[in-house]
Amino acid sequence: MDLENQKRVKEFSEQYGPENVVVLLGAAEGEAAGLAAETVTLGDPTFAGPLAGVSLGLTVYHVCEPEVKAEFDPDVYDEQISMMEMVLDVDDICSEMNAIRDQL
Amino acid sequence: MAILQDKKVIIIGDRDGIPGPAIAACAESAGAEVVFASTECFV
Amino acid sequence: MSYSVIKGAGYILVHVPGMVMHHGTTQTTEKVVNPGSDYLKELPSHMRSYEDCLAYPPNQTYIGNLPIDDLAQIPEPWADKKVEKPERFGKFGEIMPEDEFILLMQACDVFDLVRLDKKFVAKTLPKLKEHPLMNENILALIKEGDEAAEIKSAIEDGAEALIFADKAVGYVKRAHDVDVNLSAHVMFENLVSKASEVLSVLHLVKNAGIDAADVDYMIDCSEEACGDMNQRGGGNFAKAAAEIAGLVNATGSDTRGFCAGPAHAIVEAASLVKAGTFKNVVVAGGGCTAKLGMNGKDHVKKGLPILEDCLGGFAVLVSENDGKSPEINTDIVGRHRVGTGSAPQAVIGSLVTDPLAEAGMTILDVDKYSPEMQNPDITKPAGAGDVPESNYKMIGALGVKLGQMERTQLPAFVKEHGLKGYAPTQGHIPSGVPYLGYARESIMSGKTKNAMIIGKGSLFLGRMTNLFDGISFLVQANTKKDEKKAAAPAVKVPVIGIAAAGYELDPQNLVDAVEFAANKGCKAVIIDGEDCHAKMEAMLKSGEIDGAVTSHYPFPIGVSTVGRVVTPALGKEMFIACTTGTSSTDRAEAMVKNAIYGIIAAKACGIEEPTVGILNADDARRCERALLKLKENGYSFEFAESCRADGGHMMRGNDVLRGTPDVLACDPLTGNLMMKMFSSFNTGGNFEASGYGYGPGIGGNYGKLILIISRASGAPVIANAVQYASQLAASNWLKISGEELRKAQRAGMNDILEEMRSEGKHAFEKPAAKVKAPAKETVTVDIHGVEVTDIDAAVESLWEKGIYAESGMGCTGPVVMVNEAKAGKAEEILKEKGFIA
Repeated sequence: MDLENQKRVKEFSEQYGPENVVVLLGAAEGEAAGLAAETVTLGDPTFAGPLAGVSLGLTVYHVCEPEVKAEFDPDVYDEQISMMEMVLDVDDICSEMNAIRDQL
Repeated sequence: MAILQDKKVIIIGDRDGIPGPAIAACAESAGAEVVFASTECFV
Repeated sequence: MSYSVIKGAGYILVHVPGMVMHHGTTQTTEKVVNPGSDYLKELPSHMRSYEDCLAYPPNQTYIGNLPIDDLAQIPEPWADKKVEKPERFGKFGEIMPEDEFILLMQACDVFDLVRLDKKFVAKTLPKLKEHPLMNENILALIKEGDEAAEIKSAIEDGAEALIFADKAVGYVKRAHDVDVNLSAHVMFENLVSKASEVLSVLHLVKNAGIDAADVDYMIDCSEEACGDMNQRGGGNFAKAAAEIAGLVNATGSDTRGFCAGPAHAIVEAASLVKAGTFKNVVVAGGGCTAKLGMNGKDHVKKGLPILEDCLGGFAVLVSENDGKSPEINTDIVGRHRVGTGSAPQAVIGSLVTDPLAEAGMTILDVDKYSPEMQNPDITKPAGAGDVPESNYKMIGALGVKLGQMERTQLPAFVKEHGLKGYAPTQGHIPSGVPYLGYARESIMSGKTKNAMIIGKGSLFLGRMTNLFDGISFLVQANTKKDEKKAAAPAVKVPVIGIAAAGYELDPQNLVDAVEFAANKGCKAVIIDGEDCHAKMEAMLKSGEIDGAVTSHYPFPIGVSTVGRVVTPALGKEMFIACTTGTSSTDRAEAMVKNAIYGIIAAKACGIEEPTVGILNADDARRCERALLKLKENGYSFEFAESCRADGGHMMRGNDVLRGTPDVLACDPLTGNLMMKMFSSFNTGGNFEASGYGYGPGIGGNYGKLILIISRASGAPVIANAVQYASQLAASNWLKISGEELRKAQRAGMNDILEEMRSEGKHAFEKPAAKVKAPAKETVTVDIHGVEVTDIDAAVESLWEKGIYAESGMGCTGPVVMVNEAKAGKAEEILKEKGFIA
């Protein structure tokens, strides 16, 4: 994850408390989603950014995962995102995200 | 319990996946407050 | 005036391992934040030799030696594959080694900022002299060189080192003591960009076979900025590069738009040439050192070589129509508008399906798409996927959503209309333009007929806006020859298919309908069988038929049909919008959209300024308020006036029978009911004998011309439906539809509808405390326009202000009644609170 974004995630987590923060991802691939999820939960696996060695344990979802999708206004989801379900490998994304959550 | 309702949401979008503002629109529709939305670009 | 053409293209790569190590931002950032990292230690062993870089299949494709189809035959990943006989030069350009390029950088430096080691120059200059495109003027700019010790001390003093084969062979020094815009680092980046741009232009001039002196104008579209502290992006790379490349008669300017820059620049060039301002315009972009090794960490982690070890450059010549070269069709230009938003479907719509729909085309009418042609070998290991492929999937997926093809066709679409990505991840370099060279060949040989070039740019990276950007254009086979031949174009009679699925009446009606239609000068064919819908779709797609009349056919949500009747009172024609389908699930919103679809159908049938009336039914007032706002915001149309004494935009039963409006906006169920009554009131009900049927499906980007009849439509109605379809086909209804919808969008339709939906959800709240009615007065004035559900709240809000009011039911709907003396004040209050418009 971009170093600036890592910095912002860390700051917001400190400002609001990790239990009040949810991270939503829009990554194009399962692997990239998993890496970003790992960064905001267990810490930056590339050890490059401010979250290296920092386990924030934030709640994190990819925007196409059914758990969060169920909470969106279906019209908004349809207009903004639905088409990408045909483009992205949603199953792969979900399984990578679950794999990270299983480690928590 | 709702995941997003009344939560502070940080969005890390992807230019070649789902961009930040599109996710923000969804998150707001679920009653979350978007505190930060960015879009990453790998290319 | 004829379109401008793509006259030639040049594509170059420069293999620069030294710059990867010392100037790629991934590496320079790592050196700051994590200087002892494993990545930096491992990196040198992952660098490729010049020979390996040359043999890398995508690189040979980029310079024109390995056709894209042949590259696609090589199984991915390509990092470990080599072409058999790699060549430095290809038909589009070359892959230059780093040492020769460092000399070219010096030739491009006119401020004595690049200083080189004497021995290095002595060794490399003979090589550069062999280069077929390096003329005396360029070679004369290379200086003899300095002693090694001088080079060393300058670098220690902060000059930017030029590294070849792990040795410092020269440097770029700062151009100002204080100004960061002229620092050694910035000068280095800019000179690299300029030199690679010059090399691209030299190849272009050779490939296009023109005299360099014939170029009138040059547009640079790289991603760097040159200037000083008082004008940081002053410019201009274009003229600076044109000078070295010998374009003596050219001036130029720089165009920026992140990765979309090249596509913007080509649209500009095409327009300048088409307008006759200039005859020959070069569009060019040089390479970018910052992006070298951008995804290096992922490549090293996965045991791959550093694949981003090349600078890229390109140049394209846009010229006057020569009757041969492919044209840039500037009438089919897509653009991401400020109001488009960032949803991927909106982005693809604005760039691909909208401009095509306006030209009466679907996504299947474009042979090849060239979006962002990044090499997947580079992006996949970095987690960004196969970028061109996901673009093709997005285009296909939107096509599926718009009903232009079936979801099952998606993989075939990606294969047939897509291209393998092969360009280096140099931002603007892969963005659409790499294909222009191949597209020119393919179109001129007749192998393909057209290609759409799509540039997309991540403007948000500049932190000036959150907006995305993009622009696209269509390149097509030259049409100038045809123009002469087709001087007197024969009027083509559209062919309309009749696919009467589940038809209830005697099938002889269909045969009669074809004959009746022929008597009206229209051509129809019957499509029969149980699979008549599938056949109909296939015939529409292949162009065998121009439109279809069918029954029992489902449209996607968002599309509704505009019926056309002959009213019994005065024999006047009237469009009923809509008669089936659903333009929106919200009733009032549906009525607003139906009104616009009705206007589209009426205009396509030749009524220049159709009048619109709203059926006096539930939600009519909400619809009226929205239409008034649209009109106020600049969407131009006229309301019909009711024939009743009190007038207004609400159409009563009498108006419907007389056909007072040209377009009657209503909800689908009522429209359907009226359609059936108008069609069969004089036959006893089971045979529809009059009118033109339920009409065409219109809405959004829906691009197929399909008109609906009922299973009880008799021969006269079917024949009229064929005539209706023929009129729409002949008038380019899709273009009219695109224009009307865009006008409505510009007038803020989305926001107006959004506002209407939200007010629908939360009806007006009554005043918090119970309001007592003021002293009773005689109420004689009716105020119209309040929705029935809000009528009590409206009355109480007047009470709250001390105005006595009563509610009642007038003949056009609910009314608020007040005393004559207070009518003005009351209306003001109701307007202010949003009860009336």
